[in-house]
Amino acid sequence: MLITCPYCGPRDVIEFTYQGDGNRERPQPPSQDLDAWNAYVYDRLNPAGDHNEIWQHSGGCRAHLRVVRNTITHEILSTAFARGGHKSADNRAEGRS
Amino acid sequence: MAEQQLPERQSPLEPEYHPGSHGNFEHGIDVILSETRPGSILQLAAWPGEEKRLIEIIRKVTGLTLPDGAGGGTSSGARAVFGFAPGKFTVVDEAEGLAAAFAGIITPAIGTLTDLSHGRTAIRIAGPKAEWVMAKFFAIDFALPAFPLGAGRSTNHHDIFAQIQRTGADQFDIYVFRSFARSFWKALCHASEEVGYEVQ
Amino acid sequence: MSPRRTETGGRIDRLRTIRFTFDGAPYTGHAGDTLASALLASGVTLFGRSFKYHRPRGLLAAGVEEPNALVTVLRGEVREPNIPATMVEIYDGLVAVSQNRTPSLAWDIGALNQLGGKILSAGFYYKTFMGPVIGPLKGTRFWMFCEHFIRRAAGLGKAGTAPDPARYERMNAFCDVLVVGSGPAGLMAAKAAADQGVRVILADLEAHFGGSANWSGESIDGMPAADWAQRMAAQLAGNDNVRLLPRTTVWGYYDGNTLAALERVTDHKEVAAKGEPRQRYWAIRAGKVVLATGSFERPLVFPGNDRPGVMLAHAAERYVNEYGVLPGQRVALFTNNDSAYRSAVALKKAGAAVVAIIDVRSDVSNEMRRLASDAEAELLAGHAVVATEGGKALTGLKVQRFDAVSGSLSGDERSVHADSLLMSGGWSPTIHLASQAGAKAEWDSSRQAFLPPKPTQRWIGAGAFTGSFSTAEAIAEGRAAGLQAAGGAALSAPLPVVEAVPGDPDPAPVFEIRAKGKSFVDFQHDVTAEDVRLAHREGFVSVEHLKRYTTLGMATDQGKNSNVPGLAIMAEALGKPIPEVGTTRFRPPYTAVSIGSLAAERFGDLKPERLTPMHDWHIANGARMYSAGLWYRPMIYGLPGETVEQAYVREAKATRDSAGIVDVSTLGKIAVQGPDAAEFLDRVYTNMFSTLAVGKARYGLMLREDGLAFDDGTTWRLGEQDFLMTTTTANAGKVMQHLEYFLDVIWPELKVTVTSVTDEWAGAAIGGPNARAILASCVTGTAVDNATLPFMGIVHGRIAGVPVMICRLSFSGEMAFEVYSGAGYGTRVWEALIEAGKPFGLVTYGLEALGTMRIEKGHVTGAEIDGRTTARDLHLDWMLSKKKPFIGSAMMDREGLIAPDRLELVGLIALDNRALNGGGHIVEALDEVNPHDSLGHITACCYSPALGKYIALALVKGGRARHGTRAFVSDPLRNRFGPVEIVSNHFYDPDGSRMHG
Repeated sequence: MLITCPYCGPRDVIEFTYQGDGNRERPQPPSQDLDAWNAYVYDRLNPAGDHNEIWQHSGGCRAHLRVVRNTITHEILSTAFARGGHKSADNRAEGRS
Repeated sequence: MAEQQLPERQSPLEPEYHPGSHGNFEHGIDVILSETRPGSILQLAAWPGEEKRLIEIIRKVTGLTLPDGAGGGTSSGARAVFGFAPGKFTVVDEAEGLAAAFAGIITPAIGTLTDLSHGRTAIRIAGPKAEWVMAKFFAIDFALPAFPLGAGRSTNHHDIFAQIQRTGADQFDIYVFRSFARSFWKALCHASEEVGYEVQ
Repeated sequence: MSPRRTETGGRIDRLRTIRFTFDGAPYTGHAGDTLASALLASGVTLFGRSFKYHRPRGLLAAGVEEPNALVTVLRGEVREPNIPATMVEIYDGLVAVSQNRTPSLAWDIGALNQLGGKILSAGFYYKTFMGPVIGPLKGTRFWMFCEHFIRRAAGLGKAGTAPDPARYERMNAFCDVLVVGSGPAGLMAAKAAADQGVRVILADLEAHFGGSANWSGESIDGMPAADWAQRMAAQLAGNDNVRLLPRTTVWGYYDGNTLAALERVTDHKEVAAKGEPRQRYWAIRAGKVVLATGSFERPLVFPGNDRPGVMLAHAAERYVNEYGVLPGQRVALFTNNDSAYRSAVALKKAGAAVVAIIDVRSDVSNEMRRLASDAEAELLAGHAVVATEGGKALTGLKVQRFDAVSGSLSGDERSVHADSLLMSGGWSPTIHLASQAGAKAEWDSSRQAFLPPKPTQRWIGAGAFTGSFSTAEAIAEGRAAGLQAAGGAALSAPLPVVEAVPGDPDPAPVFEIRAKGKSFVDFQHDVTAEDVRLAHREGFVSVEHLKRYTTLGMATDQGKNSNVPGLAIMAEALGKPIPEVGTTRFRPPYTAVSIGSLAAERFGDLKPERLTPMHDWHIANGARMYSAGLWYRPMIYGLPGETVEQAYVREAKATRDSAGIVDVSTLGKIAVQGPDAAEFLDRVYTNMFSTLAVGKARYGLMLREDGLAFDDGTTWRLGEQDFLMTTTTANAGKVMQHLEYFLDVIWPELKVTVTSVTDEWAGAAIGGPNARAILASCVTGTAVDNATLPFMGIVHGRIAGVPVMICRLSFSGEMAFEVYSGAGYGTRVWEALIEAGKPFGLVTYGLEALGTMRIEKGHVTGAEIDGRTTARDLHLDWMLSKKKPFIGSAMMDREGLIAPDRLELVGLIALDNRALNGGGHIVEALDEVNPHDSLGHITACCYSPALGKYIALALVKGGRARHGTRAFVSDPLRNRFGPVEIVSNHFYDPDGSRMHG
């Protein structure tokens, strides 16, 4: 599988580390809303289809990326730097799970 | 701290560094390996939006003008610079003390300076089979159109993180973590045996 | 002259004789021969014994799909089993042996299995290894004893036990167009793409490019097809933008057009050149792939179809035309399609007598009838072979009238005298790679074959792979595919002209002749047509279950010959058409791949390792090294005759008595820099760092988001916006990633850079009552007294002329200092400290003594911060700031994490004065035989020289409340049971007076 890093270009998946579901939203501290924290820490979407994911280019520029990937075909639909906001600019995967 | 003459640094490659011809060299030497031992290896980082100012500082201090684009870089005889990550650059100088030249110019509003002169080891591979040998280690495209002269790349070989700059049509400078340097060097020599290599 | 070698023809070099041995007997062949062709030329007919029944087997095929003639190749002590003899290129000194026979190939005791054929039917293993469920042997070991022999009798070659000294390498390649297969289609595709100027790789598993052109006997552009192929390959070789990979099997097609290939670099050579790898594993990232992988001829299923001398028709053609070897003198052919007629003509031309062509079809075209008469063969249309005769070689066959529609036989059996029977059951495109790439094959009822569907990845098919079996079609499709892959426009230039024997590509839908006797579907796993029907009778309806139950297609050839016939027989049993029964998806690898090639350079001496700047000093001074992750660290510096325990006790004691020094360069070090660095650390650590003064260090604790402890270490404030964070050695990478994640994803507004500087600094920790005096005697440029360098203070100075940074902090519990210098000066500073310590009896100590002193002090490490413990469990709750939120603060007080019965850190003292073991459990009851109700477990243990006792750290339920009580340690695996006292984890100097001094 190849992931196109916005900085380094297309690279083999061996250079990347999966960093989890990109749909999670971290509650704003000092929030003590345990349900919200619980959802953030433990709940994961697992759609059969397009999915927002976070990957780190750990074996390259080390930037974290927001990746939209189809979990059935493994096709990478988009990649972008994670820096720039908590929410993905591309919300295609939402509401599909 | 007052500048005074410092003793020579120990190379991490020493016991495994054997100048001379090795491997299948009877059929010709197709790569030359060396440790370039630069005095200064710096990492400069700019905050988002400050990249241009940092690039300008690099030009003023080193005389090297970074080309546009991710992973762009350039080198002169004694100095080299290349981008390796968003807003981040590696600057190398044959001489020690380059950090002092940047100190005070890279203000907190622009970015940071990290001295890695001891922490990274610079290994050079040159020769007609340099691309061939490099391809054994790294899953990146070393062909000239894909990896132009002067450009930098961040990649890894298993656990060994590497920054690579192309400093010639068939020459690459590889910067690896010092603790991994001997291990990588041994593997590099091993992989070069097939084409015949010389350690300078 | 070999008995079966033709006078002329083939691409072997008749002037070069190669000598080799097979089963100990000497043979000769010519350069260009495979082991199969050379042995066949020498008159060998028996190549192997079958998997279950030990039936004698000969060559079925001439290529990679060969199921019978598997051999073991020996190189010195190293043996490589299960290689098709058809894929072994001979070289002088080659040593090959046959497999699965005792004591010899010709006389095999295992052949007795044939008598018990009924017992060894489908599902034999599932039924057998259950063991008897009733009777006197039920539940005894007798059946396991039998199993040993049954397993030995069934099988392939034996793997070797000698270490493999060969070199394997991995190679990364990039190209615009990868062409797999170098037949006419592949050559045309590679040429067309190369002419567009793009980067092309052409790979073929054979030693010579050309594929079917090498043996088809056709002509292209007025020259023999083999010459045309050679010329094309030579032209390609002259292009800078083309890489040719012969002997390279593309065996895996993965996501993102990443393909895996195995190049056999020196397997065909007597001696490898210096540094040359035996095999190269190519990881190829291709823009587009042209699949020109050709097709396989299918065997027909009929009684005795496995007898030596029964061969695929095209294979015989190949032996004749490519190697100049006649598989027999009196040849019969048995076919359901036209392609065998070309084979008949080729055999005739080479000097064999073609005695009969038996065709299941009654209406054979005039063109084919003409070819049959060209071959001077009797044409038996509407006939089928119902039996074969002979032992280790074919002597004859029996034919009967056959109705291709009903499958019924009629009339009298007629004998045909022949020493070779060539069969053709139609052709199956080699769709393996397309299938791996995710494509579901589609059944084509006219070709009677599974054809590749629309591509799901970026590949284009060409030639026989697509079901276009003629060379003219292959050439046209190949050029079109190459152009399309390279992004070029269609060409109007004329295509090479092919002269070929005509033929209808569609076979009759006949797969099996049902008559008395064993009819093999899967030759390699000895699966018969009756086995498939038995599986159906026993209730298996899914093709996936059929495959597992009968093991059809699960041998090393992965069903290359048996797939479609097996499916057809199953479909007939089910009364369903073939496409409804479906086919299994092909998975990598296409052919067997050596483990060595996959391990490549990550093996032995070449696996990555990390060394500290003082590594060579440690080795030179007698350290016994210990691998900690990728790092190598001194375990002890043993004196002659010392045990490990004696050494670490001596080292720890000397440190507490005077002074000791240890290499701490492996500690993770991260530069945290920028205007928001202090704010960032406040969020990352449980305690405050923004209040830390420049020139001071502080111990910090990190939690994970879920509130459990993550890592600990000291962080030094070197400047207002400049921190040096240290982490545990093991967690350095994880902490780095954790920090990067939060900066990139959660708090992108913070202006902070984090950089791994672990390797920038050499670190030496010197501790003990005399540590300060030693430092004072060698440091210049700064004082190290209590006023200048208080606990957790940092000073800069020089040692041996080199700038150093000294922080006064302690892991050992003694007055101690960490001395950091540039890594390139590490050994110089280390040696200066050792020299300065000589008058004080300074010792070097390793990880064992370090661990001992930390256990005595009750400090935690990764053994206690194990991903299950909280700060409270480890008595680190004093570090949890209430003034600010931090990572983990919202989750750390959840019900389960503050429950009173959680495992808490305690100390243990062995009351029987015997050593304790890590992992041993703590129990309350004195019940050695049946220990129960574990209270917790030991995380670290040692002999404490300070206490004169065996002690341990442990995580125990209700920990602190048990201080002063007794319990037992239970470690049944190591036969250890004994009383312990539960105490505070702070065994030694609990008020810290020694380190504060």
